[in-house]
Amino acid sequence: MLLAFDDSHKEHLSFLVDLDPEVLNEFGRISMNFIRKGTNPKVFQGAAQKLGVPVETVQHGVEGLMFLLTESCKYMLSDIDFQDSVMTLGCSEETRATLLALYLENQREIRDILQEMSMDLPHYRDLEWRFDMQLSSRSLRHQMVPSILLRLVTEDEGERSTTMMETDPVNLVHMTRVLETALQEMKSGYCRRIARNIK
Amino acid sequence: MRFRFCGDLDCPDWVLAEINILSKITSVKAKLLGVQVLKNMLGDSMDYEKVHKLTSDAKFETGDIKASIAALTFIMSSAAKYDVDAETLSNELQQLGLPKEHTTSLCKSYSDAQTKLQENFRESSLRVSMLDSVQWRVDYILSSSELQHVNEPSVQLKLNVKDGSSQEVNPVAVTLTSDKFRVLLYELKQAQTAMENLEL
Repeated sequence: MLLAFDDSHKEHLSFLVDLDPEVLNEFGRISMNFIRKGTNPKVFQGAAQKLGVPVETVQHGVEGLMFLLTESCKYMLSDIDFQDSVMTLGCSEETRATLLALYLENQREIRDILQEMSMDLPHYRDLEWRFDMQLSSRSLRHQMVPSILLRLVTEDEGERSTTMMETDPVNLVHMTRVLETALQEMKSGYCRRIARNIK
Repeated sequence: MRFRFCGDLDCPDWVLAEINILSKITSVKAKLLGVQVLKNMLGDSMDYEKVHKLTSDAKFETGDIKASIAALTFIMSSAAKYDVDAETLSNELQQLGLPKEHTTSLCKSYSDAQTKLQENFRESSLRVSMLDSVQWRVDYILSSSELQHVNEPSVQLKLNVKDGSSQEVNPVAVTLTSDKFRVLLYELKQAQTAMENLEL
């Protein structure tokens, strides 16, 4: 598939296509840093002074380049698709090659960063258990009541939450049986067929 | 194959793979590596520089170093967990393919540290909360806004409870009249007698 650029995006990127390859590489490096760590407006000032263009043009150029990279990684464009999309901007052979190299080099990293940004449920972190036997209480002596105490720790975006639970052995056996059936389900023919077809 | 040090279950595949890698270093180095791993499990931090020096001769990569430390930690901790003596451990490790010199040296360091490891594990077992300290004070109430001559003793108890997971100490404070306090004391003494009867 091809990326469709709207006019404002094309205008922002048109500044980039006229630059030398080294300057373009520098812009590429700045954009990657911003994708990794967030924007830093001071860098625009320095670059604008060196090139003798207004700060806004530099800012739009870098943001346009960031958007181009993230959109191409989002749709997982192949080299040919990327090159065709970039051709619509009307840039030289060299510029296209530089942009393609930038894209291919950082594709995996940008995809990892984008994956972390998607919606997420709490993750399993730790499970501790303890097997107790209640022998007597205030109301009744000489009992034998087995029980299992569980502490589940889950993590959601860096924050950990602890849940304490108590169960009896019968329930625990049932739980393990149900969870093992769930694991077995992955080896069933149906799931295997789907896993094969996703590739 | 059932192994006692795995709790009468099969040995995990990754441990089998790591035994192969552990056999590549000499038995002296294996013993020193075991000592470092035991130090780590007992609470002191591991000296990674030494570990790096020990494994550099056998040209271990970082992944191999991590894997061998993990395998040794697993072997030592599950042997202590299932209360396996050093000889059985030595036999079972030899069955898995670890050379005899390695097993003898590792099991010697294990048997020295076994009781300490088990005590360490007992302390770190799951606990909901524990009592950190108790403070009390006996007051005598002379009078109040409701009644001019009250003349009653009262006890103030502060229990410092340490949370099992987060290790923070929360105070719980209560005030009791002497009758209520007598009841509390009686119930606690009954619980203590029940506990003492259990100590065999």
